[in-house]
Amino acid sequence: MTNITSTPGTDAVPTAGPVGASKSAGRKPDSRREFKAFNGLAHVALIVWALVTAGPLLWVLLASFKSNTEIFLGKPFALPASFSFSTYADAWTDAHIGRYFINSVFVVLISTAGTMLFGSMAAYVLARYKFFGNRAIYYLFVSGLAFPTFMALAPLFYILKGMGLLGSFTGLILVYIAYSLPFTIFFLAAFFKSLPYEIEEAATVDGASHVRKFFQIMMPMARSGLVSITIFNIVGQWNQYLLPVVIMSGPGADQKLLLTQGIAQISVSAGYQAEWSTLFAALVLTILPMIIVYGIFQRQIQSGLTAGAVK
Amino acid sequence: MSVVDSPATRRSSDPGRSQQNRVTGHAAPKRRRRENGRTPWLLALPALLLIAGLLGYPLVRMVVLSFQNMRLRELLSGRTPPWVGFDQYTRVLSDGVFWAVVGRTVAFTFVSVLISVLFGLSIALLMRRVSRGVRLFMVVAMMFVWALPQLVAAQIFRWMTDSDFGVVNYLIDKLPGVNYQNHSWFVNPWQGWGVITMLVVWAGIPFLAITLNAGLTQVPKELLEAATVDGATPWQALRTIVLPILKPLIMIVTTLSVIWNFGLFTQAWVLRDGHPEPQFQTLATYSYTQAFGQSRYSLGSAIAVITVLLMLGVMIFYIRQMFRIGEVD
Repeated sequence: MTNITSTPGTDAVPTAGPVGASKSAGRKPDSRREFKAFNGLAHVALIVWALVTAGPLLWVLLASFKSNTEIFLGKPFALPASFSFSTYADAWTDAHIGRYFINSVFVVLISTAGTMLFGSMAAYVLARYKFFGNRAIYYLFVSGLAFPTFMALAPLFYILKGMGLLGSFTGLILVYIAYSLPFTIFFLAAFFKSLPYEIEEAATVDGASHVRKFFQIMMPMARSGLVSITIFNIVGQWNQYLLPVVIMSGPGADQKLLLTQGIAQISVSAGYQAEWSTLFAALVLTILPMIIVYGIFQRQIQSGLTAGAVK
Repeated sequence: MSVVDSPATRRSSDPGRSQQNRVTGHAAPKRRRRENGRTPWLLALPALLLIAGLLGYPLVRMVVLSFQNMRLRELLSGRTPPWVGFDQYTRVLSDGVFWAVVGRTVAFTFVSVLISVLFGLSIALLMRRVSRGVRLFMVVAMMFVWALPQLVAAQIFRWMTDSDFGVVNYLIDKLPGVNYQNHSWFVNPWQGWGVITMLVVWAGIPFLAITLNAGLTQVPKELLEAATVDGATPWQALRTIVLPILKPLIMIVTTLSVIWNFGLFTQAWVLRDGHPEPQFQTLATYSYTQAFGQSRYSLGSAIAVITVLLMLGVMIFYIRQMFRIGEVD
């Protein structure tokens, strides 16, 4: 309606790729001149906001180095008496966080890989092939997004029990993949749609098979979208709590708990044993890998997201 | 009705696509061609099987259960529970408590999404103006929050608002003339929901800000410069240039936020220590407590089915937007 921008000239404006644009953004002096005062305010506002954002994490980080008595002294932002890593060692060994950590890494690695493989194949087919039931299947996948996980817990328990996969990593990984697929397919289908058709057609003319076209042509072209959805899945699966609680039950399952379960365990038992510092150390250990993942892929997240979402 | 309708807007948001696509132009791709052979199906098969078995089957079970009357007795004996038709639904829908929960969930979703999107957008806009160092600092801070498991974030907030040792009480108590020692945040439902909303907004902003900031980089600088030359105020430029271009992305992240916040479970659950009081129940926790706390599995299923239907309403809105934008042909 009030659409002043939709002049035909808009699409003719050459824009750099998402990555390039995000790098050069904000450094340009274009708006600086007239909004100096505003920019000052902006800086202040942002720094305050960043502190509010990071404040709780700072508090956790400080608390993780403190002893129990220090935590309850009532000076939350006081520095700990000594920066010893003994709480971390306690968490790692005594509270079995080390084992759970490795379990989590293992499960998330495999299930994310599986999600991306199956999800991208399905999304590719749904986005690029016309066949009977195409749209219906797409909607079916997408409606999975609205399904509340906890209602699935009881049926899942029986399915896995019937298959003998209860308390096994295989069962958990399959469930993780199934529950990550709707979101993955939803985003990736949109992404595959946006890719050019010419190259694929050329490959068809040259006699490439469907499978080969997918792996050697489409996957590399969709790289940025794949990377950002991979990150979403890594984070989503790393953060899962309800699913492992139900699935990792039965004999021998206590060796196979995941990190989030371990944390819940500490916080439940902490009420009696007063191991709060261990809890905080475990929390920090949980965040660390995600920060590393983000650090590595930060640029792809930004570019991939835009390419997939802004249509 | 919508700006997105006009073909021109569709093109203006086009730079978000991959580079090559612009070379291709927007010519309708040859979708109609029929690829024969079984390979496409085979490619989709693993995903289909997994979803059908592990997501579809539980979903069907849930719907079936909502037409039965499954109580603890049937669960333990394994007998087929009696069929009761729509009884569970009439029971749920005629229950005032249920409607209170629906109202609360909708209100919470509306408020939390509104705040998150407004903040996320302002932060994304501000991020374009600050120097590189500050921006980097912000991105790192946001990554921290984004990477935090919901469970962990909720635990942190539970501790911060703890009545005896919480850092929030400690800080507020520092204000002159305010006594917040041992103040309990969950006695008054407004304050309690304030804490929950804070948590959800706090955890939700990074996704929104980073996504929208990425979208902002797609706004052609030339347009903004032209507007400035023509004497547009920053506010006008924002309203008439930036927002229309960003609109599809805003729609998408808003709808995703609605879906996520509507299904609020973990945060309320952890903050209330696994026993949410009636005034802290959302649709998700209500369904869960009915099903597993009270062993009214069928009633809980009926509530969950209604929740899914409500959410699908939002999804339809979402998908219609995508149609408009021209994504789903």
